[in-house]
Amino acid sequence: MTDIAAPPRRRRRLRTGSLVVDLVLLSVGVIMVAPLVWLISSSLTAASAAFSLPPTWIPRPFSLQNFADVPELVPFGRMALNSLLVATISTAGALLVSVLAAYAFSRLSFRGSRALFVALLSALMVPTQLTIIPVFILMRNLGLVDTLTALWLPTLINVFAIFFLRQYFNSIPKELDDAARIDGAGHLWILFRMLVPLSGPALAALSILLFEMSWNNYFNPLIFISTPEKMTLPLGLVTLQSGQGGGSPAVVVFAAITLVVLPVLILFLLFQRSFVTSIASTGIRG
Amino acid sequence: MTAAPTTVPGTAPGTPAASTARRRRRRRQTWTAYAFVSPAVVLFAIFIVGPFVYAIGLSLYAWDLLTPARFVGLENFSRLFDDPMLAKSLITTFLFALASVVTHIVGGLLLAIGVNRAMNRALSYFVRTAVFFPFLISWAAVSLLWKYVLDPTFGLMTYYLGVIGIDAPSWFSDPTWSLPAIIGIDFWHTIGFTFVILLAGLQTVPNTLVEAARTDGANSLRVFWHVTVPTMSPTLFFATVITFIGAFQIFEPMQIITNGGPDDSTTSIVMYLYENAFQSFQVGYASAIALVVFVVIMTVTVVQFWLSKRWVHEQ
Repeated sequence: MTDIAAPPRRRRRLRTGSLVVDLVLLSVGVIMVAPLVWLISSSLTAASAAFSLPPTWIPRPFSLQNFADVPELVPFGRMALNSLLVATISTAGALLVSVLAAYAFSRLSFRGSRALFVALLSALMVPTQLTIIPVFILMRNLGLVDTLTALWLPTLINVFAIFFLRQYFNSIPKELDDAARIDGAGHLWILFRMLVPLSGPALAALSILLFEMSWNNYFNPLIFISTPEKMTLPLGLVTLQSGQGGGSPAVVVFAAITLVVLPVLILFLLFQRSFVTSIASTGIRG
Repeated sequence: MTAAPTTVPGTAPGTPAASTARRRRRRRQTWTAYAFVSPAVVLFAIFIVGPFVYAIGLSLYAWDLLTPARFVGLENFSRLFDDPMLAKSLITTFLFALASVVTHIVGGLLLAIGVNRAMNRALSYFVRTAVFFPFLISWAAVSLLWKYVLDPTFGLMTYYLGVIGIDAPSWFSDPTWSLPAIIGIDFWHTIGFTFVILLAGLQTVPNTLVEAARTDGANSLRVFWHVTVPTMSPTLFFATVITFIGAFQIFEPMQIITNGGPDDSTTSIVMYLYENAFQSFQVGYASAIALVVFVVIMTVTVVQFWLSKRWVHEQ
């Protein structure tokens, strides 16, 4: 288990102010985690006793019934599978498309390469909110509204990923390509057997980012999906909360949120450094 | 996954045969390059360029997605100027973005400085994890959770504010407090991002510079203003721009918690766009609103690009 960008160890005289700062930081940390602790402990408390005041920090009486109630109200397992499917296809597909394009921009000279690259970069300024209406019309005409395809297909083009990978490929010496080419290697070999393996950190950072973006996306499912069986988790949670008949009990909603948050928390604690590096190196705010 | 070698064996450089071979190789390289970029280009055309052009076209029409579209010229744009709800949503959004930038930059910087000291490692780990983690949770889960945290009867926040003697307002039914509540939720959700970016920036400030200033007798505050801030100004600038652009597109907490209310006090520009496009199905007018969002983001990006270029030249 590694941790976030640990500051270098420095020896310094202990000052009185230091203790005050420590206390302030500790309380900030406690306030930040409090809602999550409350979330998890309430979801583990029997429905009759949950949300009592003062707030319960230890689930008493302990119960898993709230979790059992979630699939009664929404097809939670199906939604989780949808989320996983869409995020996996989106991440793998976008990586493949981007790796190929990044190779062309980094290693091959071709007519129009500069203009194309500038056009791609300009698209970073175009917000999804502008393109979503035409994309919705397109999906409707293709009969893809209310399908998972509508969720992953538009994400296969990720301009930032192409740019990011091109930068990374550019940092790998071109002499390596020449050496491989003398040995008879072709472009696909150079890309997939040499550059891709050498780009581990960049690809890892990008994968985490792409997966997170898909996994957490609410806007696109909200627009494209209407059937609960086709929903991904974020939209499923909101559907569970608002419900068809006046909404579900808060404890059940809490159980569902816990089911969504807990895997992310566990993955984060295991691979903390990778997550943080992904954010710090890409600088994308999701 | 091997392909044919691209070098032509048996040709010496400088001979006529070599130059034809080179030309042939270059032509082949061009076709290879087109093959490599084609998936990206096709998808780019279908999902970004096409929709972009189409959206501009749509903004000249009145269309409800069902009956035939009607060409109205610039009517949607003149309507933008007479629409009090658009003005209100723009003001709300700018206020939100301003508050978001100030709270994130100040809070993020203070946290980064606080953590970037010699301190207990367990405490440091706890604070960094606690501050960063909420950023990884989806807006949907965050919004639902906070709807309950701020609930006027059983909410966590309501209770503890009561304990310290503050009578919490009914956040989401009071037009005065609904936007500040969402500013707070957004802070909790995304401060981790700003924190990580600023901490990374802070760690690039050379220690020798700080030590030198201290030797010259500068106190902590002077070191902060005259060494730390100027050295990490590109990072601060980047964090400001990215926070602004993100905040300007705020949508989920409004749609999930308040539905834009009460009294439209939390109708952000994207929320208003969404209502027009997908609830009242005024696709043409919604496209005009989307173009406003685009123009704001483009302006900020271009200004950022221009400023950061100047910065690099001056250094």
